[in-house]
Amino acid sequence: MWEQIGQALNQSMVRVLSQLASLLPGILALILALLVSAVVAGVLAAVLRRSLMSVEFDRRLPRWGFPTLAEWSPSKSPTLLVTRAIALIVMLIGFLVGVSAFDVALTSQLVMRLFEYLPNVLAAVVVLVAGTIIARFLARSVLIGAVNMNLQYAPLLSAGVKWLVMVLAVAMALEHLAIGGGIIRMAFAILFGGIVLALALAVGLGSKELVSRSLEREASRTAAHGSREPVSHL
Amino acid sequence: MALDTVPQPELGQIDRMGGADLVVGLLDAEHKGDAGAACGMVHEAIGQLSTAVRAVVVSNNSTGNPAPTGQPAADDSQSSSVLYYSLPEPKAAGTPFERLMDAYQVVFAVGGRLGARACCVIRSEPRTLTPQWICRLVQPVLEMGFDLVAPRYTRLKMEGLLNRSILSPLSRALYGERMQNPMGPDFGLSGKLLDRILGENALKRQGFPIHPVASMVSTTVAGGLQICESSLGTRVQPPTNWADVSSLLAQVLGPVFLDVESNAPSWQRIRGSRPVPGFGALEPASAEGGGVDVSRMLESFQLGTQTLQDVWGLVLPPGTIIELRKLSRLPAEQFRMADDLWASIVYDFVLGHRLRTISRDHLLRSMTPIYLGWIASYAIELETAGPQDVEIRLEQLSAAYEDRKPYLLSRWRWPDRFNP
Repeated sequence: MWEQIGQALNQSMVRVLSQLASLLPGILALILALLVSAVVAGVLAAVLRRSLMSVEFDRRLPRWGFPTLAEWSPSKSPTLLVTRAIALIVMLIGFLVGVSAFDVALTSQLVMRLFEYLPNVLAAVVVLVAGTIIARFLARSVLIGAVNMNLQYAPLLSAGVKWLVMVLAVAMALEHLAIGGGIIRMAFAILFGGIVLALALAVGLGSKELVSRSLEREASRTAAHGSREPVSHL
Repeated sequence: MALDTVPQPELGQIDRMGGADLVVGLLDAEHKGDAGAACGMVHEAIGQLSTAVRAVVVSNNSTGNPAPTGQPAADDSQSSSVLYYSLPEPKAAGTPFERLMDAYQVVFAVGGRLGARACCVIRSEPRTLTPQWICRLVQPVLEMGFDLVAPRYTRLKMEGLLNRSILSPLSRALYGERMQNPMGPDFGLSGKLLDRILGENALKRQGFPIHPVASMVSTTVAGGLQICESSLGTRVQPPTNWADVSSLLAQVLGPVFLDVESNAPSWQRIRGSRPVPGFGALEPASAEGGGVDVSRMLESFQLGTQTLQDVWGLVLPPGTIIELRKLSRLPAEQFRMADDLWASIVYDFVLGHRLRTISRDHLLRSMTPIYLGWIASYAIELETAGPQDVEIRLEQLSAAYEDRKPYLLSRWRWPDRFNP
């Protein structure tokens, strides 16, 4: 009986070891892929960092319309953020290549799914970047226009426009990523509709007199300017 | 070329006119000019010249034309004659300002096509226009050999403020010619200058959008041509639309800043300035009474300094922002914007426009509160000043622009250098 137990144990050990042995090339391939991707990521990051530093990327970025990016960056350096992001992407690709080397149906399927999902991620990133740019542009337009109309609540209007566009962009990006599905759509509709309704109610009921007084004051002041002052610009 | 916009049959009519010594463009903003009266006025004006000339009147009055298009409207026993041509209906697209600039282009193009020795464009309201105006703009060109005759108007203290605060001193500092109205809008031009403008139009059409009025002085100076001024008297202007000052700034300063950019090699070589010869006696300005209500302008300036700092921070150096913030905290009676601060701000906006730090439209519109601040400062400071004091004050401002020109040069050449 003891012999049979020993035999069974031997057989199971051989099975486990042989399965481990069959995984070994895959593990080695994964380690190799990770090492190679780490080296490539390091070289790429170094080259990129040097190039970005030579064009003074950190200083120019706020001028191109992304002043807040520095706040999100490690050590407040967008160069560092970009180089680390690129290095991480290269490492991730290396990891995926390594995982697919296991030649196991499940991992291959996982990798395939991830690659199929990549276009959605890219589309979401594009939507977010475009949304951010459009939001900033519109917010600035509203701010300058409102200040030139002498509206004291100009920053509020500008921030409102910015966040409305940003919320819209985030909802679209989440839709592309297929996260949340109907819930996101519904939440967005409720949020957007709620904001508009709240504004309508505020203007229509709560601030009716305030708004009408403000508009009347602006109109009378404009008229007074036109009639009382002998001013011309050209 | 601007004549591309003129339909073929009307182009044929221009060609059938043969040639002309003088082309007079009457660009009434509301297209209400009377063709018969216009021809009569031009006829009277050219009658004052020492030689007989063949003149063509080009008007943007597309309705109520008593004289047949392209036909002689008047002809005297001598050889002086006046023909009339009405510009085609303006395109619906574009702002009134853009349509007006198109009309300038067409007048210049007609002048070029007819080989005119002189061209005169009148944009001021017809009720102020007299034959004397046309004569004073044309005579220095036809009889004294000048190439550009700019207008000099009798102005009240608070008239022509954009001209006084930016256009005139900027043009003087950059191109070295002391002119009251570098952007007219009424001008006399020689055929030589006309050819140069048309040639530049053809060359630049691909790159920069053409604005004939903004580039008038720069083209003349770059070509080494002669400039003078003629006193035209009082110019009536429509009431100021305070609700749309930002659009005015964007429309006027945009082309001016573009012209500064395209002529950088020319103005970087010029140092100092000189007065230009003047013709005609300037009517003395009346010493008008009554102050100006600056409270709204000050409010606008204060609101701007509170809320537009992020936008201004992209264009103005930190030191200037601090100065503006200090200024916004002053009570109205102490509110004074220093000339060198104002000149530096204008130069910074010129540079910001060139570098496209932010959208050019945003940039120019964001200047409105600072411009209103300057007007408030000017109005408070000169509340009781007479015409002489005003001129002295404006001379100081122009001198400040000239003194700060090295600052513009330095920032233009090394825009990325740290500027505290």
